[in-house]
Parts: sequence; structure tokens; C-alpha cells
Amino acid sequence: MGYILQVIIDALSLGSLYALAALGIGLLFGVLRLINFAHGDFITLGAYALIVPAYGPNAIRFIADFPAPLLIICTILVIVAIALISEFLIFRPLRYATAATLMVGSFALSFVIQNLIIMIYSGRPKSLNLWSELTEIKFLVGDVEIALLPILIVAVTLILLLLLVLFLKRTPWGVQMRAAAEDFKMARMLGVRANFVISLAFVLSAALAAVVSLLFEAQTGILMFRMGTPLMVFAFIATVIGGMGSLVGSVVGGMTVGIVSSVLQAGLPAEVRGYRDVFVFGLVILILLVRPQGLVLSRAARERV
Amino acid sequence: MLLKVDNITVHYGRLAAVRNVSVEVNEGEIVCIVGPNGAGKSTTLLTISGILSPTEGTVTFSDRNITGMNPENVARMGISQVPEGRHVFTSLNVEENLRIGTRMRRDRAEIERDFQMVLEMFPVLGERKRQPAGKLSGGEQQMLVIGRALLTRPRLMTIDEPSLGLAPKIVDRVYEVLTDLRNRIGLTLLIVEQSSERALKAADRIHVLRSGQIQLSGNAADLRDGEKVKQAYFGFTEGVKHEGEVAF
Amino acid sequence: MAMTTEGNSAQRPTSSRFTIEAKSPFMLQVRAWWPPVLWSIVLLIIVAIIMLAGGPVLQKTLTDALIKLLVVVGLYVFIGNSGILSFGHIGFMMIGAYGAAWMTCCPRTKKLFIPGLPEYLQTHQFPFLVSVVVSGLLAAVVALISGSVLMRLSGIAASIGTFAFLMVMYSFYLRWDPWTRGASTMTGLPVETNSWVMLPFIVVVMFGAFLYARSRYGLSAKASRDDEVASKAAGVNVVGQRLLSFVISAFIVGMAGALFGHFLGILTVDSFGLPLTFITLSMLVVGGMQSLSGAVLGSIVISALFEALRQLEVGFNVGESVIALPGGGREVGIGILMLIILIFRRNGLTANQEIYWPFRGDAAAKTAMSRKS
Ligand SMILES: Nc1ncnc2c1ncn2[C@@H]1O[C@H](COP(=O)(O)OP(=O)(O)OP(=O)(O)O)[C@@H](O)[C@H]1O
Ligand SMILES: [Mg+2]
Repeated sequence: MGYILQVIIDALSLGSLYALAALGIGLLFGVLRLINFAHGDFITLGAYALIVPAYGPNAIRFIADFPAPLLIICTILVIVAIALISEFLIFRPLRYATAATLMVGSFALSFVIQNLIIMIYSGRPKSLNLWSELTEIKFLVGDVEIALLPILIVAVTLILLLLLVLFLKRTPWGVQMRAAAEDFKMARMLGVRANFVISLAFVLSAALAAVVSLLFEAQTGILMFRMGTPLMVFAFIATVIGGMGSLVGSVVGGMTVGIVSSVLQAGLPAEVRGYRDVFVFGLVILILLVRPQGLVLSRAARERV
Repeated sequence: MLLKVDNITVHYGRLAAVRNVSVEVNEGEIVCIVGPNGAGKSTTLLTISGILSPTEGTVTFSDRNITGMNPENVARMGISQVPEGRHVFTSLNVEENLRIGTRMRRDRAEIERDFQMVLEMFPVLGERKRQPAGKLSGGEQQMLVIGRALLTRPRLMTIDEPSLGLAPKIVDRVYEVLTDLRNRIGLTLLIVEQSSERALKAADRIHVLRSGQIQLSGNAADLRDGEKVKQAYFGFTEGVKHEGEVAF
Repeated sequence: MAMTTEGNSAQRPTSSRFTIEAKSPFMLQVRAWWPPVLWSIVLLIIVAIIMLAGGPVLQKTLTDALIKLLVVVGLYVFIGNSGILSFGHIGFMMIGAYGAAWMTCCPRTKKLFIPGLPEYLQTHQFPFLVSVVVSGLLAAVVALISGSVLMRLSGIAASIGTFAFLMVMYSFYLRWDPWTRGASTMTGLPVETNSWVMLPFIVVVMFGAFLYARSRYGLSAKASRDDEVASKAAGVNVVGQRLLSFVISAFIVGMAGALFGHFLGILTVDSFGLPLTFITLSMLVVGGMQSLSGAVLGSIVISALFEALRQLEVGFNVGESVIALPGGGREVGIGILMLIILIFRRNGLTANQEIYWPFRGDAAAKTAMSRKS
């Protein structure tokens, strides 16, 4: 019983991280048709932003020692700034390129960011404890101890989802974004500024990435220049499963991938457990074939500008 | 003159869809562009709105050169387009659809008045304010997009085939509303139509476009008998009726 | 808004001070096959110079660059002709490389490290050339199977599919201990590959790729790239043509993988991941995705740049101090270069064109040639 509860909580918290990352990818795909391979690197940068940029083997704490609210705000600001700069320098000039070209562009950005991290912080992993009390505080449920962090991750995800939904449904900016995601040209003909909504999408996506980096860092306590890549890969898979461009789909997809991986991890017989990711990625090809529009039916195929 | 499209040529890749087309619209006028499928009518309107850029020629709106301007800035200058195929935002509700274009206006009180006016004009939209716009019927969607364009309070409204896919009765109603708007608030309209009869009835002036070029321009009153228009539209003239080919 | 006519009109060197009238049948052939002929000569010169005059490090770098070049030509065969961006081909390289290990490691090593191999492979050892070709075939077979599924997708969904394919293969090989040693290093492949060995492979593949691109099959694949709906309507078997280019390109990339295995003598799954995918893809994009010349030129340019930046990374003396580019610097440089080319020269250095016979010849033959592309 306790073991099952543990599996459920792990599945939910992993699914939550994937869902948050997938939302970040889905938001950009919605308005820009950009599959942002660099999203994982935004997540990585969020964690590296916590320390002093230095080459040495040890992490010198910087933002990491700020009080939590300030720490969160600073991290978000850093990543938002980086995302906006990338938008301005790379994705704006490429705006009218094909989806494939945009994809290659983000691939290149990802490559540049990873190697910049190697240049500045060195390629060696560094350890960095963040909010270690979150993993230390534990609840006793029945006969198992459940740490606070996974529960917090799920809660934060729910709150952010709620805020995002409120933003998209209730604020004029949110309505503009939804309109632009559905029919970019028409929105522009009604005076919606393309640069504005695209920047807004980058801001939201980057803010989500920053939150993911903090939660992920609190969970792992380690800094690696490619730490965001697996998150990006699974989140990307999640957006495909959920249906590219559908935000609900991103969340559903993220949860699905998280839960499927956790359940496979717990349930697969030992000899095939190692092949878990093979199944997860194989699932993607299967879904692309039988339901190219994703599990959640998103709006009809639409054209960007 | 409110709008002056001067000798524009527009390409899709290497194909010129529109060649040396000129159209002028004066304040308070209804001007129609008619022509068969593929004539380049939609291309012309999209170029005016800044969705496409002409390779040659200029578009001037109230004495400002707007050639190649962003669509959002063209909209902010006061040109509102109802494009071919309506383009309602299906996932937004009716009211969100209507109000989205009002974001660029500053006159709060006026917006509310205009909103009420649109609801009076199309009561069905008021009844279904909270419904997703995708659930509306074709005719209702056409009303929605016209209302949506009106709410930007345009100085010039361009409409691409308002009658497409609608029952004749609804088409009558749409045209009634459009002429009424012109008469009441002095709205200037540039309408694209396939049917020359309908256009001749509503318009002050018409242009016939075929194969990317203007074939005929004139006052609707002078062309009312329709013979010349037909010739320009279908592209044959009595003299050159390929008699040799018909003879065998 | 950029509906302006993209300037993809041919940019061919049209005039030259020389006039070489291709009159003899031999010269006519040379002219018809000019792109692969040209690049074979260029590569021969580069290899000859470096192998005769370069140091051992430079020679190794050259071999590595030539292996990548072969991969990029393989990528071109699929991407250039089908128009689908593939993120999955490094998976075929991995399949080829491990295939080579299964065939050529000595039986004792195999018994020790990869006990999962079937009896026949365990006890036999095959010659180098057989290993390379069969490994290429193995990759081609995997491409035939996976492609018959993936090639039904089109556009961006197909690209995502190839990405997922890479991930499937990568995670599979990473765990397939009895055959691949999983996350550990596989050792004991005979070291056979050097630049002289690479050269004939590259030359043959370039001619093959050029022949394919001009054949009925290549042309139909290209037709489906340019307008899928129209070519379907015209009766082109779009899926079949794509699949053919997928299989051919997997064969080439698989061979490159085997050659890579025989170059280092050791293999890790880790080296066949996203970074290598990125490097090879950027070579193709930088050169121009839709021409053989683009693939070759892009590889040469990026490899040369990589080497130049490596020299910087090693550092050079300026007065008293040593100025050196920190680690990761050259990758950053390549990434930025790639972005710049993507933004300012979207069709690559060759503008997606082949490099044609530069000496004035009779105009009729030239137009006939350009129409074919
Ligand atoms: N996106 C596009 N890409 C390429 N060619 C296009 C595109 N849109 C239109 N065309 C071509 O340009 C020409 C003019 O098209 P346009 O849509 O302006 O015609 P239209 O007069 O609006 O016709 P209809 O009455 O059928 O709407 C046609 O030959 C059409 O095939
Ligand atoms: Mg039209």
C-alpha cells in the first residue's frame, strides 16, 4: 500500500515536471510553430544562474543564497532575459522561415548554450544544494515516509496551471495570445502585434522553464551542462503525444509520459526495465502514425503567418 | 482620396498573381472588385492589408504610403479586413472574438456604444455571447466577422466575398447591413465579389479583374445594363469570338 | 510578410576566360558528372597534401572529417531529395559501427565482452571490406523496416518521427549489454581506416548519390519534395520514393559508421547522440541541403573551421602570454556560424545549386544539364 502511494506520488511529480516543460514548448509552438530544442537549455541555465559564473570545480553560491521569493524572481528574470535575447537575435529574423529551419535554428541555439556553459562554468558536474529542507521534511503516511518536495512539485504545477489558464482566459493579453495561436494572420489584421505576442510567449515559456529548473535543482542537487536535455526530450515527446500546439494537450501529454515512465519503471520486469525509454519513444512513433494530431484533439491544422 | 492602390504587382514565388492593378476608393464610397476564380481579387485585398507585399507599385492610405507595412500597423491605421473564409477564432467565444480588435482603440466609452450597436444589428450574437464562435452557423459567423471588423472602427473596411456559402436571403441581409452602415455612419467599403449582379446593385463604382489585371473600371450607374461587365468578366469580345473554330 | 520572390534563381559561374570545348566522349562524360568529378579531385588534393606533409594529429583529424563528410553525403541523399529533415541518421551510423564490431572483433574479445552474439558471429571474423559493406546493409535493412513506418508521415511529423527513432535506437543500444556492452566502451575493432581508405568510399558514394539524384527515382522524390499533393496526383508513389532515398542514405551512413568503428577501434553509444547529429546536420545546412556540392562543401568548411578553432583552443603566444580559446569555444563558434548562415543565407553556401562545369562550353548542353536538376 505504502509502496503504491510512493509510486503514485513519484509518477505525479515527474509528470508535473514534464507537463511544465511541455507547456513551455507548447506555448511557443502555438504562436510561432517553433519546436524549441533550446528549451531544455533554458532550464539548465536557470539552475546555473544560481551560482557565480566561474570555471572552478566548486559551485560558488550566488542567487542560491537569496531568500526564496527573491531567488525565484531573479532566476525567472535571468531566463526571461535570455529567452528574449534569443528571440530577438535568432527567431525574429527566422520568423518567416519554414518550421524545419526554425527547428534547426533552435537546435543550433541549444548547441551554443551548452557549449557556452562549458566555456564559462566548465563541463564538469558541480553539486549545488537548493532548499535541502524540502527533501528532508517527510510525512509518515502509513508505513512509508513521503518527502515534501514531490508534493510541492505537484502543487506548484497545479497553481501555475491555474494561473496560466486564468491569464489566457481572463486577460486581454491572454485572449490575444489564444487568437494568435489559432490564426496568426487574422489576429494581426485585427491589430494584434506579432512581436508582442511572440515575445509574450517567450516570456511565459521562459518563466515556466525557470520554475522547472528550480524544482529540478532542488530535487537533484547537481549542475550539469546537459541537465535540461532529457527534460526537453521528454517534454517534447509529451507535446507530440498531447497534440502539438494544444496547451491542454501539453499538460495531458506531460502527465502521460511521466506516469507511463514511472509505472514502467516500477512495473516492468527487471530484465526489460532498462529498455523503458525505448518503449516511451516507440510510443511516440506509434502515436504519430495512428493519431498524428495527438491524443487531445487540437484545432485544425493551421498555417502560420 | 482615402485609398489609392497604384499599379501593384504581386507574386507568389515566381508567379505573378496580380499585375499592374490600380484601385481607388474615396471616402464614403462603396467600391466593388468583381472577377472569376483565380482573378487575383483576394491577393489584392491581402496586399492592401499588408499580409502580402507587392513587388511593384504602392498602396497609399489617407496620404500615407503603407506599402509593405505590417498588417497590425495597417489595421491600426484604420483598414479592417474581413478576409475570404471568415476566419473566426473558433476557440474564443463570441464576445472575445468581437472585442479582440478593440484593443487598439483608446476611446473606452465609444467602444461600448459600438458594441451595443453591433449587438443590435446582429441580435443573435448577443444571445450567444458566451458560446465558442466555432459553434455558430456559417451565416452567424459571417455576421460575427463583420461585427468584429466594425468594432475596430475602421475608416475603410474591405470584405472578401461576403456572400460565399450563404443562402441568398442571408446575403441580402448582409448587403442591407453594409449599405445601411455606409448611409448611417459613412463607412467606406471595398468589397470583393464573384457575382457582378450583386456588386452592381450595391456599389458606387466597380472594377472588373481577370487574370490578374483590371479589365474594366467604371461607375456602377453607367454599367448597369451589365453587357460590358460581362464581356470584361468572361474575357471575350464580340469581334474576336474565334469564329474560325466555331465554324467547323 | 516576406512574400517577395526568394532569389533562388541559379547562381552559376557562367563565364570564364577559358574555353574547354568538351568534344571527346570522355570530356563529355566528365562534364556531365562534373560535381562528383570536381569534388573527387578536390578531396584527392587535400588528402594527398595532408597525408604527405601533415603531422599525425592532423592526419587523424582529416580521417575524422572525411567520415563526417561521408555521413553528410548520406544525409543529403535523404534530406536533399525528400525534403524531410532527419534527426535520426546518426542512429544508422551507430548501427553500422556496432555491426562492424560484431563482425570484426576477435572471437576472444567477443566472447568476453559481447556474449549475446549468436554462435556464428561469435566464432567468425570477417575482413574489413566485408564488414563495412555488410554493416551498411544492416543499417539499410533497419531503414527499410523503420522507414516503411516513418515515411508515411510527412513534413514536420516525419522529422519528429526520425527524432524519436534516434532516441529509440540510442536508448536501446545503451541498454543492450550482451550485444553492445551498454554504457561501457566496446574495444577491439581492428584499426583499418585512414584517409586513403576513406577516399575511394567517398568517391564511389558521391558518384552514386549524383547518379541517384538524377535518376528517375531521385527526380520523383524531388517532385514529392516540391509539391507532395501534385506529385501524388501525378501518380508518384511518394512514400515509396521517400523510402528508397531513406534506405540508400542509411546504407551510406551505416558504412560511414563501420568506417568510424575501424578508425578508432573503440565505440561508445554515447558518441552517437544529439551532438553528432547536430554537427553533421549543420554541415549539410551550411553547405546547402539540396545539392551534393552543398553537402561536400559544408563538411569541408565546417571541418576546416573546427580545426582552425582547435588551434586557437590550444592557444598561441602573444608576447609573453598564451591566448587560448576556452573549452567549448569552437562549438560555440560553429553554432554561431550556423545561425548566421541560417539567417543570412538560408539556402546555404551553394544556394542549393550544384557547381557546374565552369569552362565555357556549348550553351545547349548546359541548359540541358541545368534543367535536369
Ligand atoms: N498562397 C498562394 N500560393 C501560390 N499561389 C497562390 C496563392 N494564393 C493564390 N494563388 C494564385 O494566385 C492567383 C490569384 O488568386 P486569388 O486568391 O487572389 O484569386 P481570387 O480572385 O480571390 O479567386 P477566388 O474567387 O477563387 O477567391 C490564382 O492563380 C491562385 O492560384
Ligand atoms: Mg478569393
